[in-house]
Amino acid sequence: MPDVQSMVAEFVNKLRKRKIEGSQATAKCTVELLRSVISHQRVPHANQAAALIDAVKAVGQQLVAANPVELAVGNVVRRVLHIIREEDLSLTTAAMAGLDLLDASDDDDIDNCKGIGYPAMSAAVVAAAARSTLRPPSLQTLLEGTPESATVPYTSSSGADSESKTADKSSLTRKLKHDVIEGVNQLIHEISGCHEQIAEQAIEHIHQNEVILTLGSSRTVLEFLCAAKEKKRSFRVFVAEGAPRYQGHLLAKELVARGLQTTVITDSAVFAMISRVNMVIIGAHAVMANGGVIGPVGVNMAALAAKKHAVPFVVLAGSHKLCPLYPHNPEVLLNELRSPSELLDFGEFSDCLDFGAGSGSLQVVNPTFDYVPPNLVSLFITDTGGHNPSYMYRLIADYYSADDLVM
Amino acid sequence: MWRSSASFILDKHLNNKPISITHSIDSPPPPSDSMADENPNPNPISAYYETRAAHHGIVTSEWLEQAQAAVRRYPDHDCSVSPVSGRPFSVIEEFNSWRQQPDLAEAVAAIRAFAAVIRASEATTMMELEIELKKASDTLKAWDTTSISLTAGCDLFMRYVTRTSALEFEDFNSAKSRVLGRAEKFGVISCKARRIIAILSQDFMFDGCTILVHGFSRVVFEILKTSAQNKKLFRVLCTEGRPDKTGVLLAKELAKLDIPVKLLIDSAVAYSMDEVDMVFVGADGVVESGGIINMMGTYQIALVAHSMNKPVYVAAESYKFARLYPLDQKDLEPALRPNDFNVPVPPKVEVERSARDYTPPQYLTLLFTDLGVLTPSVVSDELIQLYL
Repeated sequence: MPDVQSMVAEFVNKLRKRKIEGSQATAKCTVELLRSVISHQRVPHANQAAALIDAVKAVGQQLVAANPVELAVGNVVRRVLHIIREEDLSLTTAAMAGLDLLDASDDDDIDNCKGIGYPAMSAAVVAAAARSTLRPPSLQTLLEGTPESATVPYTSSSGADSESKTADKSSLTRKLKHDVIEGVNQLIHEISGCHEQIAEQAIEHIHQNEVILTLGSSRTVLEFLCAAKEKKRSFRVFVAEGAPRYQGHLLAKELVARGLQTTVITDSAVFAMISRVNMVIIGAHAVMANGGVIGPVGVNMAALAAKKHAVPFVVLAGSHKLCPLYPHNPEVLLNELRSPSELLDFGEFSDCLDFGAGSGSLQVVNPTFDYVPPNLVSLFITDTGGHNPSYMYRLIADYYSADDLVM
Repeated sequence: MWRSSASFILDKHLNNKPISITHSIDSPPPPSDSMADENPNPNPISAYYETRAAHHGIVTSEWLEQAQAAVRRYPDHDCSVSPVSGRPFSVIEEFNSWRQQPDLAEAVAAIRAFAAVIRASEATTMMELEIELKKASDTLKAWDTTSISLTAGCDLFMRYVTRTSALEFEDFNSAKSRVLGRAEKFGVISCKARRIIAILSQDFMFDGCTILVHGFSRVVFEILKTSAQNKKLFRVLCTEGRPDKTGVLLAKELAKLDIPVKLLIDSAVAYSMDEVDMVFVGADGVVESGGIINMMGTYQIALVAHSMNKPVYVAAESYKFARLYPLDQKDLEPALRPNDFNVPVPPKVEVERSARDYTPPQYLTLLFTDLGVLTPSVVSDELIQLYL
C-alpha cells in the first residue's frame, strides 16, 4: 500500500509540473497507475466493487486536481470506474443466474429467501434493474424509481450460508479484480492503438489531388496523412505554423521526410488560403459532450474560415479524449496560460512589461487552447469511426456511467 | 403562395369544420372578449392556457367558478368505470382538482388523477386495470387536446403500466400497489425534477451575467431562485409576455427575491439582445426533433438570439417529451387564447389567437432536464428508447 501511495504522489507531482506532454501519454500513465492501485487494493468480501470504486475515485480526484486542464486524466479515470461497474454487473447477473438454479432445486433456500422478506426474482429482472443503474437516467427509468433492489438480492444471497456458496464467493472476489484488470489492460491497448485505428480511415476521406490544411502539430494528423500517402493517394498539405510554439514547422519537416508535398503558411494567412483548400484536418486536445472541441490555439480561427468558405472541418480524436462534461466557460476554465517568454523576449521588453509592481503596463496573454463550438465541426473521426458532432453524447453514454460524472 | 401552402389548407379545413359542441368545450367565453362571438371560427379556447392564466390570477374568480361549474355539467363521458359503486367517479374532476394547484405541473396532475382511478378501481386482473387506465387516459387527452405535457404525461404512465404489467413474479395486489406507489411518487419526482434542473444550470450562470427570460416558467423561476440563493450576481431582462402579461408577474416575483430585473415589451427583444448573455426559456412540450413548443414569442426570441450568437437554454422536465414532429408552425393542434387589444376591433379584422409557437432545434443550444444536460439531438434517442 505505501508503495502505491508513493507512486500516486510522484505522478501527481509530474502532472502538476506539466512534465508529461500529450494526452495519449498522460492517459496511458494514468491507466497504468490505476491498474496498480486496483491490484494492490484489498477488497472485502461483500460489496467489493464499491471498495474498488472508492479507491479509484480517491486517487482520481487527486490526479484531476493536479492538472484540471488535461481532461484526458479525468476521462480515463471515469472509463476505469465504468469498467469496474460493468464487470461487477456481469458477475452479479451470472451469480444470480447460478444461485437461481440452486434455489429452484432446494426448497429450504426458497423459504429462506422469502423469509428475508424479498420475493424471489428471476435473474433477468435483477439484471434489468441493475443495468439501469449503469445507464444514465432516462425516460424509461423515470417511473421505476431508485433501483437499490440490485444490491439487495446480492447481500441476501451472501447472507444465506451454505458451503458451496461461500466457495463461490471467494472465487467471485478474485474474479472481479481479475476481470477489472483485464478490462483495464484492454483500455491501455485501445489508447496505445488509437493512432492506427484512426489512420485506417484516412483512405476514405482523402481523395486524389486534394489540398489539406492543418494547424500546429498532431501525431494523429501525421499518421492519418501518412496512411493516405501509403495507399498511393497524392495530395498536398498546407501547414499553418501554429505560433508561438511553431510546431507546424516540425510537422512540415516530418511530412516532407515521408514524401508529401507541403507548404508552410503563417496563422494569419489561413483565411487567405482557405479558398484553395479542400479539407481542414486537425487533432483535438479534448472533445466535450456537446461536440465542442478544445484544440491548440488558432483552430477556432481556422474553423470560422472553413465555415465561411464551406470547407469541411474534420477533427481527429482518440476515444480517451472524449470528455463527458459540458463546457460552460471553456475559453477561461479549460484553458492554460503559458509563459509570455514564448511571445516576447524579456530582455528587450523589461522596461515596459507589467511585473505587478511599478512602471510597466504591457501585459502578455499566451493561451494554450482554443474552443471550437460544435456547429463549426463537420466530422469527428475517432477510433470507432466517423461521427456527427451531435452524436457525441452516444459515445459518451457508452463509455461512461452517469454516477461518475461528478467525482 | 399562401393559397397553396399547407397552412392555408389547414385553415380552410378548420373554417369548414362544423362548430362541435363536444364535451371538450367546457368553459364559456371570457366576459372581457366581445369579439369571440363575432369571430367566424370559434374554436374551443385552450383549457391549458386558461388554467395557466388562472394560476397567475389574471382571470377573475367568478370566471373560474363558471368554468368549474361547466365542467361538472358534462359528466357523461367521464362516468364511473365501476357502475356497481354508488358515486360517479370522474377522472376529469380529479384532474381538475389537482390542476388548480399553481405549483403542480400538468403531467403530474394527470398522473395523480390516474392514482385516484387505480384506488377507485375494482379490477381484479392487470388487464382490467390497464383497460380502465387506458380509458381514463383517453378521456383526459380528449378533454384538452391542446396540452402537450398532459398528453405526454398520460402516454408515459400508460407506457410504464404496459411495460411492467407482465412481470412474472408478482400477483395482482402487489402489482396494483406498485403501480399506485409509482403514481403517487411521481408528484415527488416532479418537484425533485425542478431542483435537479436548477442545480444543473448553476454552472452555466456566471457572475455578472444578463439573462433574458420569456413568460413565466416555473422551472426557470426555480433556476433563478436557486442562483439568487447561491449568491450569484446576475440580472434578468423579462419580456412582458402579451397577452397574459405573465412577464409582469415574473418581474414582481423576482423583485421580491432582490434580483435586478428589467421589463421589456415583446418587441424590444432584438433591441436589448446585445446586452444579453444567455436566454432561458421553459417549455410546454419538447418534441421529437428536439425543438420546443412554448408560449408565443419564443421562436422570435430564439431567432434573434441565434443571429446574434447568444445561447438559448431550455429548462424542461423529462416527462414533457412528446411524440410529436411538427413540420411548421401550423402543424400543431391549435391552442387559442383571447387577445385583449384594449380597443374595439372591427369584426372584419382577423386576429391571430394562437397561444404558442414551435421553435426548431437548430436555434436551441442546450436542454436542461432532470435526465441531465442534453443537446437537442438526444431527445429523439430518449423517446425511441421508451416507445419502441
